[in-house]
Amino acid sequence: MVLGLVSLNALLAQRSFRIDDLRGQIGTLSQEQLQLQHEQATLSAPGRIAEWAHRHGMRLPDDIRFLHMPSKGSTEAPAGAADLDLETLKEALEAVT
Amino acid sequence: MSRPPMRRLVGLFCCISLGLGAIVMRLVVLQVSQAGALQTKALDQRVREVKLSAWRGQILDRSREPLALSLEARDIYVDPRYVEDPWNTAVAIAPLLGIEIRDLLSKLTADTTFVYLARQVGLDLAGRLEALHLPGIGFLPSPRRIYPAGPLAPQVVGFVDIDGVGISGLELQYQSLLAGKPGERTQELAENGRPIAGGIDVEIPPVPGSDLVCTIDRDFQYQVQAALEEAVQQNHARSGTVIVMDPHTGEILAMASYPWFDPNDPAAARPAAWRNKAVTDAFEPGSVNKIITAAAAVQEHALPLNQRIAVPDQMQVGTFTIHDSHPHPVEQMTLGDIIAESSNMGAVMIARRLGSTEMASYLTGFGLGTATGVGFPGESPGLLLPLEHWTDTSLATIAYGQGISVTPLQMISVYATIANGGEWIQPRLVKGWIGAGDTYHPAPAPGTRRVVSEDAARMVTRMLAYAVQAGTGTAAQIPGYQVAGKTGTARIPLPNGSGYYTDRWIASFIGFLPASEPRVVIAAILDQPTTVYGGVAAAPLFQQIARYAIERLSIAPGRSLRLPPHALPVP
Repeated sequence: MVLGLVSLNALLAQRSFRIDDLRGQIGTLSQEQLQLQHEQATLSAPGRIAEWAHRHGMRLPDDIRFLHMPSKGSTEAPAGAADLDLETLKEALEAVT
Repeated sequence: MSRPPMRRLVGLFCCISLGLGAIVMRLVVLQVSQAGALQTKALDQRVREVKLSAWRGQILDRSREPLALSLEARDIYVDPRYVEDPWNTAVAIAPLLGIEIRDLLSKLTADTTFVYLARQVGLDLAGRLEALHLPGIGFLPSPRRIYPAGPLAPQVVGFVDIDGVGISGLELQYQSLLAGKPGERTQELAENGRPIAGGIDVEIPPVPGSDLVCTIDRDFQYQVQAALEEAVQQNHARSGTVIVMDPHTGEILAMASYPWFDPNDPAAARPAAWRNKAVTDAFEPGSVNKIITAAAAVQEHALPLNQRIAVPDQMQVGTFTIHDSHPHPVEQMTLGDIIAESSNMGAVMIARRLGSTEMASYLTGFGLGTATGVGFPGESPGLLLPLEHWTDTSLATIAYGQGISVTPLQMISVYATIANGGEWIQPRLVKGWIGAGDTYHPAPAPGTRRVVSEDAARMVTRMLAYAVQAGTGTAAQIPGYQVAGKTGTARIPLPNGSGYYTDRWIASFIGFLPASEPRVVIAAILDQPTTVYGGVAAAPLFQQIARYAIERLSIAPGRSLRLPPHALPVP
């Protein structure tokens, strides 16, 4: 009986140390996850990307034109359709290509 | 050999018995009568209760990108009683903490038991210090709040104090939700500080704070801030505010007030920059307020839409003479022309047809004079005098947006009401939160109320589209899209309330697009630009942000609305 009690006690002690270890591991991994999340958020921050792009010689386009193609069967002209005649459309497409 | 005398044996026996009896008595006292108290005392020595801090929730943008998160860090303290060599300790620590040796020495030799040396130090640095094994130097876990995007929507997100308690913005508004509930661990420790196996070990785990999902779009917010900063500088304005809102859900996609600050280091900025001026600061709106006059007139049929009235450039109201922004001969104008040309006199004439009671009722109906309900800390309700306090001039000046004050959020809500077919919708900054088990809880649906009919809202939209096509707002035009909006150039009242500055203006443009099926409402407001006028200073800012909105939200042009009856030539 004494042997049984001693074994049980040893087993309990072993388990308690294991639980402590696992708790520690969970804490470390959670922190690692948060650290990675922080890095991801910092790297993908729009300000950082814009600065990087600027440093590498990229810039925003001067004049963006929106071309909207009416879907098949649509008879309704979009609001600005009248603003773009064929010549303007050609010019815009040439500028893009 | 003689035997020991019997008496001496009896005496010895009595002594031993008395001694043993005393021990037994003492044992009885210790084990029975004082057992409870002593057991408690022993437990007090062995058992340690540790407060387990709850992890503060993140603040995420609408795409769930983090705008604020917490990382583990350490507070470094000293117990000067245990410092053996203050000078060498200071020399070893000073370069790592970046503190002067002289300052450190005063802390290391202080007559106390606890002094912070540094707070919320990164784990790397704390590890390097720990490796020095300096006697008297201790480390405490302390989460550090980080804003990974830096100065992005700082006035909306807010920031926390050194103890991690929100003190402004959403950090303050949702403090209890973000903070969670601290837990507690009770452990029985041996003399060496190690837990006693099989001893007491009870843990009440902390409940981590929920993650808050706000309505802000991180990328949109960045573009808005970039455009606003550029506009403030180009127009030499003192400050500026932009709000971008979905008129159908009330969700704020972007909200910026320039100048801003980096919430990672709020102390580096002036406290005035911490204020979310879009919500906390009221201003006299000027002509952007004419939309209420127009909506009320359309709804109440105060003036037939095709009727022209003779509009002078000045008129007498009580003891005051009020006038238009520029001199002009008497002009024949429809209601559409009055809005498009932003005629103060025309607005006054319309308001007089409505009367003070009707006008006041529409102003309150559109939400002026009361907080929007967004619940943001420090939200201003603006200033709308109760009807009984209106003077002779109140109706006239309010008709063109002077003599009342509103927040930018209140004013954009007015335009959102028109864009939403006449139904006011409560603006909101929070979509929901993610609680335990990654369960998403959507925020309660925003409150709504009908202010004007759909037909009236549609007619006002046509007037706003006319203002952009042919009136004061032409700088807001976007080729291919029909934009509806209104300029405002408001005078700034003197602090003593005796009148207005003659050289200070607030320029604004508020509008939406596409006019027929509005997807986004944008308010652009600049404080004291040297370019003065809303149509010159603020409309281009609106246009720049609207162009980005078209790309970002994939907005199709929609069909073209007919312009309202008008007398002015349309290009």
